[in-house]
Amino acid sequence: MLRCEKLVKIYKGKTEVRAIDDISFSINDAEIVGLLGPNGAGKTTTIKSLCCLINPSSGKIWIDGIDVTKNPYFAYNKITSVLEGNRNIYWRLTVKENLIFFAGLMGYSYKYRKDQINELINIFKLKEKTNTEARFLSRGMQQKLAIACALIKDTEIILLDEPTLGLDVESTHEVQNLLKNEMVNKGRTILLSSHNMRVIENVCERVIVINKGKIVADEKLDSLKDFFKVNAYKFEIEGRIDNKVKEEFQKISLGTKYTENSSKTEIIIELNDFMIIYKLLETLKDNNAKLLSITRIEPDFEDIYLKLVQK
Amino acid sequence: MRNQWNLFSTIFIKRLKLILRYPLNFFSSIITIYLIFLAIFLGSKYMIGSQATTFSNTIEGIIVGFFVWTYAISGYSTLSWGLMEEAQTGTLEQLYMSPFGFGTISIFIVISDLILNVFWTVPFLFLMMVTTGKFLHLDLLTIVPLLVLSLAGAYGIGFIMGGLGLIYKRIQSLFQILQFVFVGFIAAPVDKIFAFKFLPLSLGTKLIRDNMTKRISIFNMPFNDIFILIITALFYFFLGFYIFKLCEKIAKDRGLLGHY
Repeated sequence: MLRCEKLVKIYKGKTEVRAIDDISFSINDAEIVGLLGPNGAGKTTTIKSLCCLINPSSGKIWIDGIDVTKNPYFAYNKITSVLEGNRNIYWRLTVKENLIFFAGLMGYSYKYRKDQINELINIFKLKEKTNTEARFLSRGMQQKLAIACALIKDTEIILLDEPTLGLDVESTHEVQNLLKNEMVNKGRTILLSSHNMRVIENVCERVIVINKGKIVADEKLDSLKDFFKVNAYKFEIEGRIDNKVKEEFQKISLGTKYTENSSKTEIIIELNDFMIIYKLLETLKDNNAKLLSITRIEPDFEDIYLKLVQK
Repeated sequence: MRNQWNLFSTIFIKRLKLILRYPLNFFSSIITIYLIFLAIFLGSKYMIGSQATTFSNTIEGIIVGFFVWTYAISGYSTLSWGLMEEAQTGTLEQLYMSPFGFGTISIFIVISDLILNVFWTVPFLFLMMVTTGKFLHLDLLTIVPLLVLSLAGAYGIGFIMGGLGLIYKRIQSLFQILQFVFVGFIAAPVDKIFAFKFLPLSLGTKLIRDNMTKRISIFNMPFNDIFILIITALFYFFLGFYIFKLCEKIAKDRGLLGHY
């Protein structure tokens, strides 16, 4: 459905900046892809290039086989975007007027989209604010309205650039659920950029990690977790432990981290062979250490991301 | 189900709602313009003397010139200030993402503006006539096409300024200076210097003045003048639009379209 090949964007100025550097990827129908990367990695430039709002220096973008760098109006029948969260709506129009206006930008009459407008107002919990000007809404509500305005356009592809930026935990959770229910579960094709790992982890099935303008990973979320899976375990031991035990642990494992207080000691160890765990238990037994628990540590998406961008 | 009429009515209704939503802002702008007119009128009366025939001719010129100027400034501001504001609020990028194209949208903005401005510029024209006691001839069949052709130049300049605003952002002072340059265009003595006929607004204002003061219908106006008016109108409008598209390309190359 959406494909870009060897996309390059160079900003010329006093110093030349390669905002995106030879990136290629494709997104299939009804696929939900997360775009991750640190500040200045090239996420917004990528999204705006796909929307034909930035002219790429070189490379091609295809939507349904049509080169949209040459025919952007074709793209606008297929793509809509939410850029910079709450800046994409008319602050002096009411919630309903904004939705009517954005439907109108696609050439739809109010009469034709009336039911969908009312439905979106209800789903996005904006009913009480239907006739309130957008400038009087909270930031969370403004961002929800911006997403609703994108949905009323009824395009197949939606590009979202930081839709939860600047929101508190509660609003982030609400927006995240709306994204999941109204976009993901309704078969739309989505590219979602965010700094919020939890949003990406909960909403997306595939993730593209971009750093310094280059793609450093493009994998299914599960594959990425498997790839970075480590044999890490957390041992909880009653009281403090002897230095002798610590030395033994260090000798056997690939890496150890200790957290101690008067009541218990936590040891996180990385192993390359599961059988070593029995040796560690022997060591604890020999030193009369009372083991409280052993848990396996699942790979954290935030850690995976950091490993990728710090490579 | 999807058509250009829906797009036009959406743009028109949005502009109408924003005018009606802020009546204080709307009326205070009109009062300010009226006070400027009053100052010019009373100043001229004091300088020339109310008995002189020259004053009578001058005040007719001032009414027509002021009428065209207010209409032109309003249209010019829609494109220059208007596009800047859309870029600043982040909605310009959304307008660009309409499948009808930004060109169609800007034409619809211009048409909406021409229609909506009738509702305040025409009453304002009557207010000027009541204030001065000078009632001018109003032949809509002549005035409307001449006004539209005259304003095409102002819209062209509006496009140029809007385009420059996309790239350079903070050029509001240039916008303001141009409002006064318009006064020069409107007052340019096209009868004395032939080349002035090719300036935006100049010839159109002169022909509107001829209609309103000497009752010369568009059908009795010199063909050459009408021809020059049409050519200059098209030239400035499309030149403005072309420069806007160039600026838009530069803004897209530099990634400045949504910047503020």
